Amino acid sequence: MSQEEMFARQICHVLDRGAQSLDLEIVERLRAAREQALQHQRVIAHKAVLVGADGTALLAGDEDRHPLRTWLAMLALLLGVGLAYVWNGFNQASECEAIDSALLADDLPPHAYLDKGFQAWLEKDSSSGD
Amino acid sequence: MASRAELSNFLASVERRAFKQALFAVRDEDAALDIVQDSMMRIAEKYGDRPAEELPPLFQRILQNAIRDHFRRTRTRGEMFTSLTAFEGDEENPADALETLETDEEANPFAAPLAALLRAETLNLVEEALKNLPPRQREAFLLRYWEGLDIAETAAIMGCTEGSVKTHCSRATHALAAALEAKGIRP
Repeated sequence: MSQEEMFARQICHVLDRGAQSLDLEIVERLRAAREQALQHQRVIAHKAVLVGADGTALLAGDEDRHPLRTWLAMLALLLGVGLAYVWNGFNQASECEAIDSALLADDLPPHAYLDKGFQAWLEKDSSSGD
Repeated sequence: MASRAELSNFLASVERRAFKQALFAVRDEDAALDIVQDSMMRIAEKYGDRPAEELPPLFQRILQNAIRDHFRRTRTRGEMFTSLTAFEGDEENPADALETLETDEEANPFAAPLAALLRAETLNLVEEALKNLPPRQREAFLLRYWEGLDIAETAAIMGCTEGSVKTHCSRATHALAAALEAKGIRP
């Protein structure tokens, strides 16, 4: 640091003392001005973001700038929900088909499950077996 | 972006120096307070979403512009001409800008011991000497040394070249040393 800079730093040290010894009234008015300014702080508006499976933002609230992208994302979302519904229906039908096949292939006829006499015989047979 | 707490801490850390800077320039407490208040409001409203590290040079730019606006509003046409001439850069006068300050190394004008500067009456003398500096020199000195901005940032805020900033700072420092010496504070 040059002598010129050292002298400047010493001057600033003195100025710091002056800044720290302001009248209380001035200090209070500065504080009030600061509080008032903070009430008007500009903040970035937080927007809802729809994130894809790979972490990329599909919908980031910028529909004004990219309307096509927004609509494509909405379409993809609806398509996904529809496919999930259809796939779930297929799975349920497949499970029902397996149960029906097992019932029909069994030696016991299906209407036996509705026969109360048969149910009573099964309970009696299982309790006597104990 | 700067949170409310960050902006609050930043403003609290600079508000006293900002007031002093404005006071050195306009020499009126109420006007200086108005300038600081306007500057705080402006940075909060327009730049409150900027990262905290960008706030110091932004605030200084706003503050210096507010001081200039004050002179534009309050001075008469003739005074305004004088003021604006004083605030203009040295680029229009290359010979003046390139003028170098010769220092007598043996005289060592910057060797003032800190203890001497910290005498009770020294503060008033230093502040008075600072007020009497030409506006551009005072602005460069305060931005560069008191606010700790680098030469490029100071040049950007003042709207001049980095060379001009160095010249202004050097002249200001020499002028302060001479003024204090004249008041009996022997560097």
